[in-house]
Amino acid sequence: MRDTLRFTGVGGQGVLLAGEIMAACKIKNGGYGLKTATYTSQVRGGATVVDITLDDEEIRYPYANEGEIDFMLSVADVSYQQFKNGVKSGGIIVVDPNLVHASDEDKKKWNIYEIPIITIAKEEVGNVITQSVVALAIANTMTKVLPEELLVETMLSKVPPKVHEVNKKAYALGKDYALDAMGTK
Amino acid sequence: MAREVISTGNELCAKAAIEGGAKFFGGYPLTPSSEVMHVSSDLLPKVGGVAIQMEDEIAGISAALGSSMTGVKSFTATSGPGISLKAEQIGLGFIAEIPLVIVNVMRGGPSTGLPTRVSQADIGQAQYPTHGDYASITLCAGSLSECYTETVRAFNLAEKYMTPVFMLLDETIGHMHGKAILPDLEEIEASIVTREKFEGSPENYKPYDVPMNKPAVLNPMFQGYKYHVTGLHHGVEGFPTEDAEQCEFNIERLVGKINTVAAENDGLDDLPDYEEYMLDDADICIIAYGSIGLGAYEAVQKLRSEGIKAGLFRPIMLWPSPAKRIAEIGAKFENRIMVTELNMGQYSKEIERVIKRNDFATLLKANGRPIAPAEMVAKVKEMM
Repeated sequence: MRDTLRFTGVGGQGVLLAGEIMAACKIKNGGYGLKTATYTSQVRGGATVVDITLDDEEIRYPYANEGEIDFMLSVADVSYQQFKNGVKSGGIIVVDPNLVHASDEDKKKWNIYEIPIITIAKEEVGNVITQSVVALAIANTMTKVLPEELLVETMLSKVPPKVHEVNKKAYALGKDYALDAMGTK
Repeated sequence: MAREVISTGNELCAKAAIEGGAKFFGGYPLTPSSEVMHVSSDLLPKVGGVAIQMEDEIAGISAALGSSMTGVKSFTATSGPGISLKAEQIGLGFIAEIPLVIVNVMRGGPSTGLPTRVSQADIGQAQYPTHGDYASITLCAGSLSECYTETVRAFNLAEKYMTPVFMLLDETIGHMHGKAILPDLEEIEASIVTREKFEGSPENYKPYDVPMNKPAVLNPMFQGYKYHVTGLHHGVEGFPTEDAEQCEFNIERLVGKINTVAAENDGLDDLPDYEEYMLDDADICIIAYGSIGLGAYEAVQKLRSEGIKAGLFRPIMLWPSPAKRIAEIGAKFENRIMVTELNMGQYSKEIERVIKRNDFATLLKANGRPIAPAEMVAKVKEMM
């Protein structure tokens, strides 16, 4: 079975890293994972989209098929509006409500959760850069596509040792917020 | 034992260059090829090599040509606009017979075009990259693994045929991040080809005194074998000449050592020039290369699941094209070929030239976006 996830934001926010970690984790777990990023030539502020495809069978085409995406996370309105239609009907979309405005119509079409990802990273974790790890935790907690222990291990292998603790904290917070949002805590 | 790695196409291309024997990179960073230079700058000093960022693309290829003339395997990397700048020096490499690998990670053009977006519109440029006649050796990676294996091959072909070789990636392949299976290092090292060397007395050395369709024998500079290197037509010792017979022989040999040799031997080496997928019993043949081949695999699977017997023909050696096999496919699939590529039909024209018909469908896109398997499926169904 193929799982397709999409992370969107604007250039410079670091949405690429979360995708790389998920793909690498799936591969370490014996499957296939691909991460493909599409971005604009603007240095900062251009819409950025990262597609992650995970499968036990070999994956060739590296982009998400429009309309088949299971999960999308967005931390910028420009990217949300541009890429939301790739998500299948009833699919999960997580947005940062301070930055993304999901309409009532959108809320009927998709399963939308509002989690203040950037604020969590900035104020609760204490480092805005950790937002990609908060996002990673939310994505995996909601989709359960990857074994959590291996995902955290893969994440830690991609960041310098001196920031391991802060990233572990970011992961734990992201997971808590995701469980809260789903009302299963 | 094969090696499993998690990487991007650009990173694998640089890794392959170095494991394939390269010791010098000269270039100037350009999206979406820059990581080839970044990784080379990291890895080359660790193996006693050098990576240098020059003041521009022209200086980058010039430094690489100079390095190659000393016998050091050298390469440069850029994207389409950089190839345009390097055009004149590619011609110098061709006429002077200096081995060089030129990596082009293709982005949208023309001009500065679409810097971060995918394209395959430089394949015509790779066929005729410079003024004057030219015979191109151009490889095109269709997977992460091929970013590695075909780069190693590009260096071997450059040394074997004494000529610049294009290694084409596209933005999708260059930047996609995933699993690749690579041959083990011993296997790579055993496959390495190094240019021929004249071992006789320096007084008898004439680098360009070679028969028709054979490459020059250029000994590394500064090792006692003197010769002249020029972009002008030259005689057997490399000094300029305008002698009509010599000039005619030169150009026929330069083109023949690649095009005639490929036609006579059905390729330039023993490695596959194309890949076929589910083509044996197919009713419909999709022709695609590079990253478009990835979507084409999935289109074939989808069509098969719906009872339509599709297959894929994916060229790896774009130039000289695998013409013999293309002609056979043309004969087998009358009105049943669909060529899909990210340009306005550059390889479609080669298919038309080889099969001498234009009864095939095309699915072309040149707006910086990939072609999804669903679009290919729809196009094939239109043909039914």
